[in-house]
Amino acid sequence: MRNFPLGMAVFAVILVGCLCGVLIGGFGYRGAVDEAGAAYLLRAVEDTGAANMVSAIYLNYRLYDTLFELLVFSVAVLGVRFYLVGRNEEQVGSIPESQVVRTSADLLFPPILLLGIYLVLFGHLSPGGGFSGGVIAGTGLLLCAVALGAEVVARRFHEGILERLEWGVLLAVIILAIFPVAMGRVPLTDLLPTGRLGQLGSGGSILIYNGLIGIKVFIGTWVIIHYFMRHRGEI
Amino acid sequence: MQFINGVTVGIVLFGIGILGLVLRRDLIIKLLSLGLVNESVILCLVSLNARPDGVPPIVYAEKGAPYVDPLPQALVLSAIVINFAILALALVFVMLLVERYHTTDSQRIEHEIQQEEHR
Repeated sequence: MRNFPLGMAVFAVILVGCLCGVLIGGFGYRGAVDEAGAAYLLRAVEDTGAANMVSAIYLNYRLYDTLFELLVFSVAVLGVRFYLVGRNEEQVGSIPESQVVRTSADLLFPPILLLGIYLVLFGHLSPGGGFSGGVIAGTGLLLCAVALGAEVVARRFHEGILERLEWGVLLAVIILAIFPVAMGRVPLTDLLPTGRLGQLGSGGSILIYNGLIGIKVFIGTWVIIHYFMRHRGEI
Repeated sequence: MQFINGVTVGIVLFGIGILGLVLRRDLIIKLLSLGLVNESVILCLVSLNARPDGVPPIVYAEKGAPYVDPLPQALVLSAIVINFAILALALVFVMLLVERYHTTDSQRIEHEIQQEEHR
C-alpha cells in the first residue's frame, strides 16, 4: 500500500471489513441445502446414463451454458492471438536447457498426455472431463516447450493445422448443439444410446462433447502458452 | 456448525482480494487480487451446499450415500474457465502497456497518458 494516503487506506480497510462482516452474518453456511440439486440427484442417472452427475448437468441439462463458456474461451484465445501476433517477435536465443530437464520432459510427457486423454474419455464416469483433461495435456506440451524450446515444439506439432483443427472443433460443437433446434428437435443430448451405467459407452453424447471440448481446450491452452512465449522470448 | 468453514474463509479472501484491487498500484498484483476474488467466490459457491459427511456426486456401487449438491459444482466450472480467459486477456493488455510505458505502476501509466494528452 505504498504512496497511498493513510486515511484512505484505513477507510477502505474498514469499509471492506464491514462488507465482509455483513456477508458472513447474513450469508453464512447453513449446512446441506439440497433443493435445486435434489432433482438432478434423483433423475440425472436415468436421464443421461452418466455416473458423474456434474458432467451430466453441464453437458446434458445445461449444454448451452457450456457452449457459451467454450465461446468465451475461444474469444480469449482469439484475443491473445490478435493482440500479440506480429508484435515484437525478436528471436531470443533459447536458454540452453540442461540434460535433466530434457530427460525428465521425455519421461513425463507421455504419462501426462495419457492422463489427459484418460480424464477426457472417462469424464462421465469419474472425476474429470474435457476442460481438466485438455488443460492437463496442454500443460504437458508446456513441459516440452520448456525442454526443447517453444518454436521447436510448434513446428513438431504442426501448429497451423492445430489452429485450424481448433476452429473446426468449435464449429462442430456449435453445429451439434444448435442445428437440431432448427429442425424442431431437442439439442443433440440423446445422440447415442445411454448404455449400461459404468461402461465407457454409457452417457450418450456426453462422451462426444467431452472429446470435442478436450481437443479444443488442449489446442487453446497451447496457443495461449505459445503466443506468450513468442512475445516474451523463451522462458 | 463451526465458525471457520469454506464460506467464511471465502468471504475473508474476497475482502483481501478487493483490498488488493483497490489499494495496490502494481498491475500484476491487481490481476493476482482479481484471481483471488474469483477463487474465493468459487470456494463460497462450492462449500455453501457441502455437507461434512457428503460424498462426491458420482454414482458408486453403494446406494443411498449422501451426495453433495452437484449443481454449484457444475456452475463453478464456468467460473473457472472464464477466470482463466479473463486472466489471459488481461495479461496481454498488461504486456502491451508495459511495452509502451515501461512500468507496471498504474498511477504512473495514468500520469504519462495525461501528459501525452496535454502534448
